[in-house]
Amino acid sequence: MAWLIAAAVVAAVVVALVRSRREVAGLQTRLAAASNALESLQHAFSRFAPAAVVEDIIERGVSTDSAKKEITVLFADLKGFTPLAERLDPDVLVRLLNGWVERMSRAVAEHHGHVSKLLGDGFLALFGALEANPWQTNDAVGAALAMRAALVDYDAALTQDGLPPLAMGIGIHRGTVVAGVIGTAELVEYGVIGSTVNLASRVEALTRTHGVDILVTESVQAVLDRRFTLRAMPATAVPGIPAPLATFAVEGFAPHQG
Amino acid sequence: MSVGASAAAMTEWAECLLPPAEMPPPLAKEIRGIIGRGPAFVPRLAHAPWVLRAVARHINGFLAYLPHALSDRIGLVVTQDNSCRYCYGMHRSLLRIAGHSEADVDRIVRDSMLVDLSPAERIAVDYARRLSRCTPRPDREDFEKLVAAGFDERAAVEVAADVAAGSFMNRIATLAALPPEPLEAVTGASYFGIIRPFLALGFHKRPPRPLPPPQPNDGPCARVVAALGDSPSAHLLRATIDGAFASPILPTRTKALVLAVVARALDCPYGEKEARALLGSEGFAAADVDHVLETLSSPRLDAREARLVPFARETVRYQTAVIQARMRDVSRELSPAEMTELIGTIALANAVCRLSVLLDAR
Repeated sequence: MAWLIAAAVVAAVVVALVRSRREVAGLQTRLAAASNALESLQHAFSRFAPAAVVEDIIERGVSTDSAKKEITVLFADLKGFTPLAERLDPDVLVRLLNGWVERMSRAVAEHHGHVSKLLGDGFLALFGALEANPWQTNDAVGAALAMRAALVDYDAALTQDGLPPLAMGIGIHRGTVVAGVIGTAELVEYGVIGSTVNLASRVEALTRTHGVDILVTESVQAVLDRRFTLRAMPATAVPGIPAPLATFAVEGFAPHQG
Repeated sequence: MSVGASAAAMTEWAECLLPPAEMPPPLAKEIRGIIGRGPAFVPRLAHAPWVLRAVARHINGFLAYLPHALSDRIGLVVTQDNSCRYCYGMHRSLLRIAGHSEADVDRIVRDSMLVDLSPAERIAVDYARRLSRCTPRPDREDFEKLVAAGFDERAAVEVAADVAAGSFMNRIATLAALPPEPLEAVTGASYFGIIRPFLALGFHKRPPRPLPPPQPNDGPCARVVAALGDSPSAHLLRATIDGAFASPILPTRTKALVLAVVARALDCPYGEKEARALLGSEGFAAADVDHVLETLSSPRLDAREARLVPFARETVRYQTAVIQARMRDVSRELSPAEMTELIGTIALANAVCRLSVLLDAR
């Protein structure tokens, strides 16, 4: 009898051990998968906020890493989108808008910028905000030209599908911003604030006044690679700016010009 | 293959860019003398002997003051940060050979910034990661924190040397897309437990001793070499820089242009100054260099340089799949020797411009 009891106890212990080992192995696998997912997430977030900010948030839940930075701001907006929105089926409208955002974001990313904020039928893209970029202004204007070319292709595809072509305005300005994590615990984002951002938005609005698609300010023109061809626009009064604002339309890029 | 679970392990990895080369017997003998017969990368890097020598000497050890375990951890953190599949697999294999169980290795990899580290070591690992990223470059205060944490200044210098070497090795492996070493498969095999002690004996090396600083030290980037003091890493760096600029595969000015662009991208005035001196001796006026650095182009660049100069900036920070595709794209029309030398030059420029923080630190 004692034999039987001892054997039963040993068997129970063995079964318990095997089960617990399996459980531990299962937990380790899940932990590894979760850790991998977190690591991937951290890499992904690094495309939207500086690495130091991402780490602060992971480690402490908050980031106080705000700083003044000289960056280049690009504002893009679809022209005449509101009447279009009223005419089109909502599904078609969203598909059309998403197609535009996807193509434009790709052009921005390929030129070392990142889309910081979607604004309905427009967006704000930043160059030199996540990491120092000595070529930020050339990159921003290069991105704008790539966006122009991408829109031509997209419009051809839309027309083929019987949809109306899109038109956009782009405003680019270089200046100092305050960059940091803005918001509350419930809604937080890495963003930039300051008059530079407002001015880029005003410049985008001026594309309608001047009848062009890409406009840059003097601060961009001053440091821009001379191979970009610009045309001076008449200085124009804009709200919130004391003097008339000088801008330049971007016509293209002449790769062989020295 | 026992690569465990990590984003670095799951990194999309291209097919190797470099075919194996026929190795001249003297070079084969020289490399065997440094690292034995083992690694599969040897014939792939042999197209540019200075690159192969640099990698072999790197593997053979180059730190005299930094504890081996901490150096390994710094290497792992830099590798994870650069998502280098090849180096990650090697780090895992070496941890297994050193006697860590698969679960231990998973744990170390999962939390490489924290597991089994003292507070001082954490400061060193944090510094290493920040130097690897350079967003922005660590400054004098950051270096002083290392010393304040209890590191001998010479060990603190070797933290930076270790990061520079990791940055070099990661870029060689990533840009060339070196295939995983067969050693990885061995550490996952059923017989690994039996052969592990023998492998461990084979991999066990005495750390190199400090060496008098290299003499002469009058080639490019001499101040960075001098900043390494009597660390053996100074000899590795001097020999690598001299090998790079003595090699006839790519013109000196092409290599200097790569250094200049990487220096500008990493905000390294010292690297830029050295590159300007080299370009000056190649007949590039200061205004021409300014033009290249402002626009990443110039009528003075030949067709190959016109492709390589804008590419050089992309190698400072990158996503693996993107940079491997770009590398394949820019190396069209390059011979294997030119590709290998380009990869080595980019890796070296990234290493030197990170290591130059030592000049800011003193």
